[in-house]
Amino acid sequence: MSGYPRPLAEIVDLFESLPDDEKRENLIAYADAAPHCRRREGESFGLEDVRKDEECTDTVGVFLKVDPATRATHLRIELGPHVQTLTKAMTAILCKGLEGASPEEIMEIPQDFVPRIVGAQLIRLRSQTVYYILTRIKGACKVWLNRERAAAAG
Amino acid sequence: MNPKFSGYAHPEALVDTAWLKDHLNDPNIRVVESNEDVLLYDTGHIPGAVHIDWRGDLQDDVVRDYATSERFAEVCSRNGITPDTTIIFYGDKSNWWACYALWAFRLFGHTKVKILDGGRDKWKAEGLPMTREKPAYARTSYPEPTRRHDPEIRAFFEDALAFSKARQPLIDVRSPKEYTGELTHMPEYPQEGVLRGGHVPGARNVPWKTAANDDATFKSAPELKKIYLDNLGLNPQSDVIAYCRIGERSSHTWFVLTYLLGFKRVRNYDGSWTEWGNRVRAPVAKGAEAG
Repeated sequence: MSGYPRPLAEIVDLFESLPDDEKRENLIAYADAAPHCRRREGESFGLEDVRKDEECTDTVGVFLKVDPATRATHLRIELGPHVQTLTKAMTAILCKGLEGASPEEIMEIPQDFVPRIVGAQLIRLRSQTVYYILTRIKGACKVWLNRERAAAAG
Repeated sequence: MNPKFSGYAHPEALVDTAWLKDHLNDPNIRVVESNEDVLLYDTGHIPGAVHIDWRGDLQDDVVRDYATSERFAEVCSRNGITPDTTIIFYGDKSNWWACYALWAFRLFGHTKVKILDGGRDKWKAEGLPMTREKPAYARTSYPEPTRRHDPEIRAFFEDALAFSKARQPLIDVRSPKEYTGELTHMPEYPQEGVLRGGHVPGARNVPWKTAANDDATFKSAPELKKIYLDNLGLNPQSDVIAYCRIGERSSHTWFVLTYLLGFKRVRNYDGSWTEWGNRVRAPVAKGAEAG
């Protein structure tokens, strides 16, 4: 499963082995778990990116912390109530699947895992925001890496 | 009856949440949820409601058209629906897809159709029961419809072009920025594959949302008359075509004009902007003027 951090690869493997009904049930279970991706009291982050983009139905907040010694990334994501169920599911999947990966690894992840998890039937017109959370996470990683480079240069 | 409904041309086309709560076990009705969010039904729905997917159940897999009569009959049979069943549609997004599903059922000649005013959002906001339990109804034998009613309620590109040239009533129900051409996607949505922005020349912009309240219910009859009769100069005898991007928001307006204001001939152009905006040599007007 080249290109995917191990926890994400394991999730992709699991979903690919499931029949459609169980795939759907697991997506709902992940969507139910999305609120657990919110920030917890006392947590602090190196980068906070909260905004409502024109192409998403509600506000999405991405919070990123990178351990300077191990370069392990820790993510939290907060979703507005109108975000679609698939997008909620993908949020929980990515928070679990990318935990501990480095920003560089996250930047390199191909998005072809999304249809492998969700199934081609559900990726269609009006459910394309399923890709949105990964784009936002990569955007946060890019900003974090740029800041790191700027700090090193300065 | 909800006093608001009495002002509408066809008050029987709506039910409110209080009525539905008391009729959930009525054997002659089937409650159908139809959403944009493909997994929303699975996260909880009105007890006894079945799910009909606007794409998987109602559209053809290959041709850009609606399901075959055989497939439509199968969808109905699988959900325990007969031609005598009264179907009450509801869904997310202020009932866009509920209206779309209702319109599609009308294409196949099923006329016993109603909308839950306020849809899923209002039901949920009122704390009414939701369940994840999927109902199982005895299978029926819905007969294959022998004809489609496209000519009455559906417009095609050629119809819209003729209306554009003749300056007959065309209503663009998209957001103002989509109408002017500033945006080629809906606000809050990704790009959905259209090459040019703008609108059909001659079309007037009346966003679907002008007919809905913030709680997803329809506006009152006097408010709707002001929008479509007074401001737009239409009357119930007007021959009207409505469009949006793929026909879902214009289904909402089609329902308003047909059932709430009693217009005799309203057609939904479901090809809408994803057809017109990509069509070779289709004329496009830009800016706030009808053109």
